[in-house]
Amino acid sequence: MRIATIMLAACVAPLWAQEFKLPANLDRLSAKAENSVEVTLDGSLLRLASRFLSDQDHDQAKAKKLMAGLEAIYVRSFEFAGDGGYDMADVDAVRAQLRAPAWSRIVGVKSKRCGKDADVYLKTTENGQIGGIVVISAEPRQLTVVNIAGTLDPGKVVDLSGRFHIPELALSSQYTERTESK
Amino acid sequence: MRLRLLSLLLAATSATYAGEFDRIVHAIEAHYGTTRTHIPLMGVADSFVKVARPAGTSGFTLAVFENLDSSPSYGQRAELDQFMRGVSGGALHSLVRVHSRANNESTYIFAGEAGRSTRMLIATFQRNEATVIEVKVSMETLLKMVESPERARKFSGSVTDH
Repeated sequence: MRIATIMLAACVAPLWAQEFKLPANLDRLSAKAENSVEVTLDGSLLRLASRFLSDQDHDQAKAKKLMAGLEAIYVRSFEFAGDGGYDMADVDAVRAQLRAPAWSRIVGVKSKRCGKDADVYLKTTENGQIGGIVVISAEPRQLTVVNIAGTLDPGKVVDLSGRFHIPELALSSQYTERTESK
Repeated sequence: MRLRLLSLLLAATSATYAGEFDRIVHAIEAHYGTTRTHIPLMGVADSFVKVARPAGTSGFTLAVFENLDSSPSYGQRAELDQFMRGVSGGALHSLVRVHSRANNESTYIFAGEAGRSTRMLIATFQRNEATVIEVKVSMETLLKMVESPERARKFSGSVTDH
């Protein structure tokens, strides 16, 4: 029984440990885009930030709290001169990594009218905490992919939205999966 | 003894950062077959740009390159990205990369630790010239630059305009 449990755990563990990596094809979009922004705040920079941000200053303390527990923030944003600057295959390569059980889509918005797709995926850890978040915002002329790795709470996700080129996220603490067609 | 060790450590740190700036400047010179433009009174320029310098920054080192368009590879984004990826690393972390086709401009922001402070290196490539600036910044200012790379570009422009 114990051996069976260990074997089951060994099989399931890699599923939970699924690490998300921004696909290399996203970098290639930079050459086609009218404007592109790439932000990389990795672990070493976030550790540096937490060392140098003051606890005494209100704004710095807020930023420090925001970064606590985060492992990395990666943002790739591209604006194109016309429609069809990127292929859906570029987006699918991102989505393909975000599979259950580690990842779950908590928000899915599709607008047929303006051709805008927005997806928010959460990674849950074995102990039920949020271990990461991926945001995909796909518009006819703009594509943004955000990967925030580390331990997060929903409030932190909202605080991070609109900063570091992360799209504005209006998430409530009660996550619901929804699909809108306008 | 402790003091001596501390001063050695500080000297080593500042040498590392001067080294990173010089390494990038030399790499641009070698890659595009150019030399940085001599700026008269550069040594005292720091005191003149205090007005233009954003809050939370101090001291800077600057290198300007002109007529880069004489190099056939200049202006190709993918090539520039590859080149900048190659020259970064070491004590500098790549934070931001911005390309704008409308302005024909690319901006790269790097950061690293400098003793009890942080250093930011901004490399801006325009139509036919490039600017590399290294400046000491507070972490708060650095994060603001990451949030709005336009500030970094404006800062870079304000220093070279003086």
